Amino acid sequence: MISKTIKCPKCKNIIKIKGNPGEKKLLLCSKCNQKGKYIFPSSDNRDDIEKGSIAISVKNLIKNYNGTNAVNNISFKVRKGEIFGFLGPNGAGKTTTIKSILGLVNVDSGLIKINDFDVVDSGKNAKNFIGYLPERVAFYENLSAFQNLCFIAEMKKTSKDECKILIKEFGLSNAINKKVGAFSKGMVQRLGMARALIGNPPILILDEPSGGLDPRGVVLIRSKIREMKKMGSTILISSHILSEVQAICDRVCIINKGEIVAQDTVDGLRKTLNIKPKITIELEKLSENIIKSVNEVKGIEKIEIRDNNIDVICDSRIKARVIITIEKTGGKIINIHTKDPSLEEVFMKFTEGD
Amino acid sequence: MNSIFTISKKELLDNVRNKWIIILTIIFASLTLVVSYFGSIFTDGWQDLGITIQGMMSLVQLLIPIIALMLGYSAIIGEIEKGSMSSLLSLPVTRLEILLGKFIGLGSLLAITIIIGFGLAGIVIGFNVSDVDYLGYIIFIFATIMIGLVFLALALFLSTLFNKRSTAMGGAIFLWFFFNIILPIVFVGILAASSDIINIINNAPDWYHILNLFNPLQVYSFLVTLNVGAALSFDTISIAYPEYYSNILMTIILLSWIICFMILSYWRFNKRDI
Repeated sequence: MISKTIKCPKCKNIIKIKGNPGEKKLLLCSKCNQKGKYIFPSSDNRDDIEKGSIAISVKNLIKNYNGTNAVNNISFKVRKGEIFGFLGPNGAGKTTTIKSILGLVNVDSGLIKINDFDVVDSGKNAKNFIGYLPERVAFYENLSAFQNLCFIAEMKKTSKDECKILIKEFGLSNAINKKVGAFSKGMVQRLGMARALIGNPPILILDEPSGGLDPRGVVLIRSKIREMKKMGSTILISSHILSEVQAICDRVCIINKGEIVAQDTVDGLRKTLNIKPKITIELEKLSENIIKSVNEVKGIEKIEIRDNNIDVICDSRIKARVIITIEKTGGKIINIHTKDPSLEEVFMKFTEGD
Repeated sequence: MNSIFTISKKELLDNVRNKWIIILTIIFASLTLVVSYFGSIFTDGWQDLGITIQGMMSLVQLLIPIIALMLGYSAIIGEIEKGSMSSLLSLPVTRLEILLGKFIGLGSLLAITIIIGFGLAGIVIGFNVSDVDYLGYIIFIFATIMIGLVFLALALFLSTLFNKRSTAMGGAIFLWFFFNIILPIVFVGILAASSDIINIINNAPDWYHILNLFNPLQVYSFLVTLNVGAALSFDTISIAYPEYYSNILMTIILLSWIICFMILSYWRFNKRDI
């Protein structure tokens, strides 16, 4: 028998329930009469859920479109409070997965939970926790920016004052009463981000958050994402700008042809692939002798020569040996720079053949 | 319930901002006044409300369905194509609530324009003629709203049925032709082919009266003429109505159309991937 304490999504009242693994319980909040369902976790994922540490859980998700598997039996978990990068080439199944999490598509099989609420059975409860920025941001073009956000605030049962604050935060105060139909793409994107933040949702799902933004807009959105993380929000980001993902994500998941090919921290993925760093050694003068002796050092994967620079791709442990060899051959080192493999390189390795 | 109200309010506001509400009200009011003042070839000046309704019926049968279809055909597919449906569905709201919210919002728009447009015209006519049948006029307005809602439900179904806004629009135009032209011709054709034409003018067979109940536009026409008197329509055959033709039956039939197509719309919308 498992005991579980659940917070009512509407009035935050604490509800205590008991049940067996896999058992489905109907919930009724004694304070606000909000109804809901709770499925006690089966033994394989009980630990995570018992600790309440999982914000989004996707298990064995399958979705077909006209007989073609868009998503084929994928499973992953997004922990509470982390920024989770969801990456993959075009048509890999990212958007289908996000749409499945939001209940926008009817999945063929699998179990998706948001803060322990089943998206299929208790979709309304599950979506109480979510703020969503779609890849293609769209608004009601006849309504003003303020009216559009007020509509969302009313749907989320939050104060309309928040809309004004968010519009200001995203630099759209001058256009607050302007019809959204007259907005530029960047303005629509910023308003989309403001819309996702209405009601201060604990989980944010952002599909290409930097799309259509100028550099100032990109910085604004990135700082907002970091701010939300500091406030304890869980953020799932799907983006093609891998440098952005690398800069802000705690963990990443790479999906390719509907299947998850990797899931870890960026460092963890580098280790998995055994991708070596690139060491750039700048010399005062480069001679044939130096190149020959560096070439003879064991464990070096690749050497590239540019002007007076030698780029050596090798394990960090070989670095000292390379430096000693250069100095022994009479080379005078001016600068040494080590560059770890980027997420781009990791991504390319995992999605090779596309 | 709150979500339904919020969505319907948004639909109304959206259409107020794009001036639909004003345009429709002006169309309804001016048409009624024009029909009342110039509609009769026998007398000059204002006609009473009964005669105005008779003149208005054919116009309403042509105009209200196409307005309702045009209001509703893109309600769902339009939002899916634009991309705003995915944002809407990411909120704590069910697909049923979205559908009902849209129906109530667009239905209110239609009802408000009909009430204000026809109501204003009715008041103007009322001031200019004696013996005003206000009850008949109210029933005419009620029936007009009902037929508008029937075609709105049909339009919502089209909006959930097709994958493109343009196809849904084609479907809407076809439905307008189907109920206004094709179906009446088919019904009269069947009648002409099966009976002695002299007999049927005076006394149409029972099955023909039942068949007519499958066309919501005919049902609308029956509901109005049962209360206001026989319309000067082309369908002179059905003036001698059977006893079971009643206000309640006609209202139930129109309501059934609305409920049936709302259920079908929900079933289709629920199955759809966004």
